[in-house]
Amino acid sequence: MKIKYLIWVRRVSQVFFFCLFIYLLLGTRLPQDVYIDYTSSFSGNTDIRMNDPVDFFWRLDPLVWLTSLLSSKQWIKGFGWAVGVVAAAFFLGRFFCGFICPFGVMHHFISVFRPVLKGKDLIAANQPRPSMKIKYFLLVVILVSALAGINFSGWLDPMSVLFKSMGLAVFPALGNGLIEVITMLAQSDIKSLNYLGYGIDYLSTRIFGYQYIAYQTGFMIGAIFLLILYLNRIKPRFFCRVICPLGALLGVCSKYTILRLEQKEDSCTHCGICTKHCQGAASCEPGSIWQGSECLLCLNCQELCPENALSFRFALPHTSGSKMDLGRRYLLGGLLAGVSLPFLSKLDGKIYKVAPPDLIRPPGALSETRFLERCIRCGLCMKVCPTNAIHPAFAEAGIQGFWTPTLIMTFGYCEYSCTLCGSVCPTGAIEELTAREKIQAPIRIGSAYLERGLCLPWSGNQPCIVCEEHCPTSPKAIYFKRDVITKADGQKLDVQLPFVELPRCVGCGICENKCPVKGKPAIRVISAGESRSTENQILL
Amino acid sequence: MFEHSITRREALSNILKITGGIAAAYSISFPLMPARLNAESKPTNWIIEGYGQSSGYSINALTRKMFEFAGGISTFISKGDIVVIKPNVSWAQPPHLAATTHPEVVQAVIELCQEAGAKKVRIADNTIHDARRCFSVTGVGLVAEKTGAELVDPKSSLMKEMNLKGERLNLWPVFTPIVEADKVINLPVAKVHGLSGLTLGLKNWIGAVGGRRPALHQDIHQTIVDLAGFFKPTLTLIDATRIMIANGPSGGDEKDVKTMNRLILSNDPVAADAKAAGLFNKNPLDVGFIKIAQERGMGTSDMEKLTQFQVSV
Repeated sequence: MKIKYLIWVRRVSQVFFFCLFIYLLLGTRLPQDVYIDYTSSFSGNTDIRMNDPVDFFWRLDPLVWLTSLLSSKQWIKGFGWAVGVVAAAFFLGRFFCGFICPFGVMHHFISVFRPVLKGKDLIAANQPRPSMKIKYFLLVVILVSALAGINFSGWLDPMSVLFKSMGLAVFPALGNGLIEVITMLAQSDIKSLNYLGYGIDYLSTRIFGYQYIAYQTGFMIGAIFLLILYLNRIKPRFFCRVICPLGALLGVCSKYTILRLEQKEDSCTHCGICTKHCQGAASCEPGSIWQGSECLLCLNCQELCPENALSFRFALPHTSGSKMDLGRRYLLGGLLAGVSLPFLSKLDGKIYKVAPPDLIRPPGALSETRFLERCIRCGLCMKVCPTNAIHPAFAEAGIQGFWTPTLIMTFGYCEYSCTLCGSVCPTGAIEELTAREKIQAPIRIGSAYLERGLCLPWSGNQPCIVCEEHCPTSPKAIYFKRDVITKADGQKLDVQLPFVELPRCVGCGICENKCPVKGKPAIRVISAGESRSTENQILL
Repeated sequence: MFEHSITRREALSNILKITGGIAAAYSISFPLMPARLNAESKPTNWIIEGYGQSSGYSINALTRKMFEFAGGISTFISKGDIVVIKPNVSWAQPPHLAATTHPEVVQAVIELCQEAGAKKVRIADNTIHDARRCFSVTGVGLVAEKTGAELVDPKSSLMKEMNLKGERLNLWPVFTPIVEADKVINLPVAKVHGLSGLTLGLKNWIGAVGGRRPALHQDIHQTIVDLAGFFKPTLTLIDATRIMIANGPSGGDEKDVKTMNRLILSNDPVAADAKAAGLFNKNPLDVGFIKIAQERGMGTSDMEKLTQFQVSV
């Protein structure tokens, strides 16, 4: 069944899913034009939500499904598609890698478009290598770690890596640059430049949003992304072949796939075209044994073979053959690393001894142990947060929580009625709340405390009420006592000294964000008092 | 450019026809119009209080009636004007919590401006909470969609440093659509505030600037007056349909809200605020920014110096 147009089906599918990924990524934010009536969102159960299913690709991702199943030991709803993808791999091989995976599309494009490697170098690079076993090792590490209670999949899962790279590094970097240009144009004294600025602004905000964006470790994410892309110069689709744990998972499933490459050795002239264009280094050339677990189903070999010696057919696998087993050492090493990684990383005491004060989880987050079981570090909540408060953690949550979400109040704050982060979380690490639930419960993410030495009225410098003014709770969690302070020159100063009433504080952090003492605000939020924890509490 | 140019005679007769027609129409309709302010009557400043007395009264009808008494919207808005409405939609709170200007008031004013032939009506406010959330939750986004008014995102590119020439404030980033408008209508909501006492029309201009706004609170009354001296609205319409009497300016609870069914319209920004201060049982001159604004001659809190009207529906 050699069908010529299949390769075009593959190409169209790749472009479609890549565009869909970018479209959903850009849509992962508060819609630009919110004209719908949400005025009743406090009293009803309607709330502002995304227009599109932005977690679509994670719902499709068997690695996300399997790791969260192993770590949480619970059947998380909404992963039917992912189960389907795994099941289909037994019949169709790694078609997901060749037809759907948007990160794979990117690598495919970079490897094929003006490749560095040509001719014999390319054929040599496309030979199977022992390094391709690394991904199975990494898969074992991730699965075993998940079983031991920490879900690391988002460090290497292609959806999460691509989403974080594009959403938290590439687009924000470009967007910030554009805003600088636009601001320069818009503030010019030349009218026509103003209009040019407004014009670019109008178009660009649809893509990049309308404010400067920052993400902690954004540089790291971007640098790793560029490195991963660069690796395609060493061998085509390096990430897919060597690193990708999702590819490894699908590879294991598709080892005995029934959609197999039929190699006609008698008509083969060993011209090498098939190997030259093989994306997965799957030994497609007749004479060698085709590796179903490595084949990305790009269909190039079938398409390009001048002798028609290669074609994909449904057939039962030969039981002999495929030697691409994961060696026993790799397996043992993976098991050992997978077990030790969670337990070693928890040695920092952040879970067992004391909760880190600067680790403020988004509203609705599960208790820390359960959170780490579920959170896949995909970055959706960070991208969707309208105030840019949610960031990938660097050291706040320890190694076990690297790149999990944490709020940094000097960058943004948790808006009182906003519940977007929980609504996009694909695994339920952040529970979906309505504004009413969040306010009425109330869901606390921490507690505010005052540092009187920095506070303007407390230090006798200026009257100031900014924290109280912005406090969104009713009654307000910040209240005043009036006082008269004698200044250095003997002048009397009437001030209102702020106090925090802890039972009312929800830890939203708008006080810290708006405090005129920049950089190190005089009122700050710590995690103590967060609703999700029974231990990390202050009051009885 | 034209195929046949209009002769001077033709042009003159055309002009006569048009102006004559308008004059004739006006003279016929004049006796039918309700009692209006006219330009000759002294003093020139006026204040109109609107009461919603009947249950389930229409805010729209009340607003329209008040503008009619002020001389009709076309007294203030000319054909082709770019009008900016400055509501207070700082907080992502629904309308019934009184933290923001009621959307029906905003809608009524926009429709009036559009009927007066405004080329473009914009809604501009540099909000405290995320702007798009504010627009949707306060209902002002819906108003923009219904009326076709333009909702301006308070982007950093729209903030331009200008000299406010105030006593405390000089160079400060200003939200440009407001200064670039032909006419500005200030549409604040009346509520309490922890530092300034009240948030009314004059204080609403804090939402018309960018920059380090929290720092303004270190000398709140003077900075409010500095801003109000820079932004001079054509009209101030204070929404006191319901007012926030506690936990201002953010509120967040129905217990903080008191229904007043009142609107206050004036061409004197100080008078409007002074009148609204009365709703909170406050002496206007006890409110720092009203006092300073009056001293600086920006208006008066003395109602005797104004033509007063009371309107009800």
